Amino acid sequence: MTAIPDDIARTIIDPFAYADGDRVDEAFTWLRREAPLAQARIEGFDPFWVVTRHADIKEVERQNDLFHNGDRSTILTNIEADRAVRQMMGGSPHLVRALVQMDAPDHLPYRRLTQGAFLPQNLRRLEGRIREIARGFIDRMADSGGSCDFARDVAFLYPLHVVMELIGVPESDEPRMLKLTQELFGSADPELSRTGGRDVSLQEGVDSIQSVVMDFMAYFNAMTEDRRANPREDLASLIANGTIDGQPLGHLEAMGYYIIAATAGHDTTSSTTAGALWALAERPDQYAGLQADPGLIGGLIEESIRWVTPVKHFMRTATDDAELAGQKIAKGDWMMLSYPSGNRDEAVFEDPFEFRIDRSPNRHIAFGYGAHVCLGQHLARLEMKILWEELFKRVASIELDGEPRRMAASFVCGPKSVPIRFKLH
Amino acid sequence: MSASYSVWQCRTCGYLYDEEAGDPAEGLAPGTRWADIPADWVCPLCGTAKADFDMIEL
Repeated sequence: MTAIPDDIARTIIDPFAYADGDRVDEAFTWLRREAPLAQARIEGFDPFWVVTRHADIKEVERQNDLFHNGDRSTILTNIEADRAVRQMMGGSPHLVRALVQMDAPDHLPYRRLTQGAFLPQNLRRLEGRIREIARGFIDRMADSGGSCDFARDVAFLYPLHVVMELIGVPESDEPRMLKLTQELFGSADPELSRTGGRDVSLQEGVDSIQSVVMDFMAYFNAMTEDRRANPREDLASLIANGTIDGQPLGHLEAMGYYIIAATAGHDTTSSTTAGALWALAERPDQYAGLQADPGLIGGLIEESIRWVTPVKHFMRTATDDAELAGQKIAKGDWMMLSYPSGNRDEAVFEDPFEFRIDRSPNRHIAFGYGAHVCLGQHLARLEMKILWEELFKRVASIELDGEPRRMAASFVCGPKSVPIRFKLH
Repeated sequence: MSASYSVWQCRTCGYLYDEEAGDPAEGLAPGTRWADIPADWVCPLCGTAKADFDMIEL
């Protein structure tokens, strides 16, 4: 069995390679061609397989009994950080226990608890309110004098507002939720992390992430108490008063539910929206096409999700010996599912490095696949559809007004700044 | 006159298959009946088997 060359292995775990974009794309292109399923052996990390091809990622994702989410960390973690987390958490490799850390038999009942709220037919009743929120942001954009940072002024705030309203977080707390989200996902980004880019020891780094998680927990503990006393029609009330087999949710599980909703529930849509506008600003012909034919918006949404792929990886652990793509996987082996690589797989996507809103079919795996496929995917699509419908009606043209920048992170990330100039109709 | 169209939903991810609209990206032309979709077809979003879809009223 060949190991991945060290420089390639280090690139695909380097937060700054994801900020750069091209560097990580080149590394994964090399891997898909030369070593599509091979082990990374990086000093300080347990060895892990890197699954780069679309078909192999789907194969792992659909076999939930053979490849578990929760047996080891679901996010790539080095040996020392893993040890520190296990010490804090009584042996568990997870700081929280959300749906992404669960396997059968817990996963399904926990998912079912809120699944109804995220089904397309139930989201339809939110459409009017989401449109009102979207129009508010386009109004603010229109009032900004023809230029703005689309990431910071619109893309970060619009899905945040929608999701926080759904959870039941008051608007006055939204800046705090955004900051905590960015500190969690941007812990390696000097501009976003709680440590402010200082050189810190590994223990300080772990402590910093744990302190962010504790801040979330303190906030949502109070919300749980409130919703138990005063239930409302919101997601927080569902979580606070929900039962699994007749028992209330465990503390870590309830906190995990809130935290995943309050972070991944908006950050991924924000990244995709910001990335889409960046791509369109560089492709005025496609922007004009969307204005002429709003029927193309569905294609824009799927292509921008593929293009940005905000979730960069999840880890799985083999529960038994297995064979995948001709390789022997041993029980206990750790595997990195690389979604950006799967979504640039030349075997599935023609011209994968081209942004094409007319791509059809567009079978990206940015939301995952199998039982753990993203719970909020229909909400994400609805939010984007409404935003684009409203934006294309008002904004005649856009162009970049400076160099866009991406967040430095190897787990969840996207653009953090997309400065634009625009003209209204 | 043909019978009215029905809508089917994936139990795992909520994907909707509307017979009237079909799913052209999946090679299913508008008007394709659920019964005419092969038994080994899987949900395009999550891979769930056809047998694990429910007919729903919208």
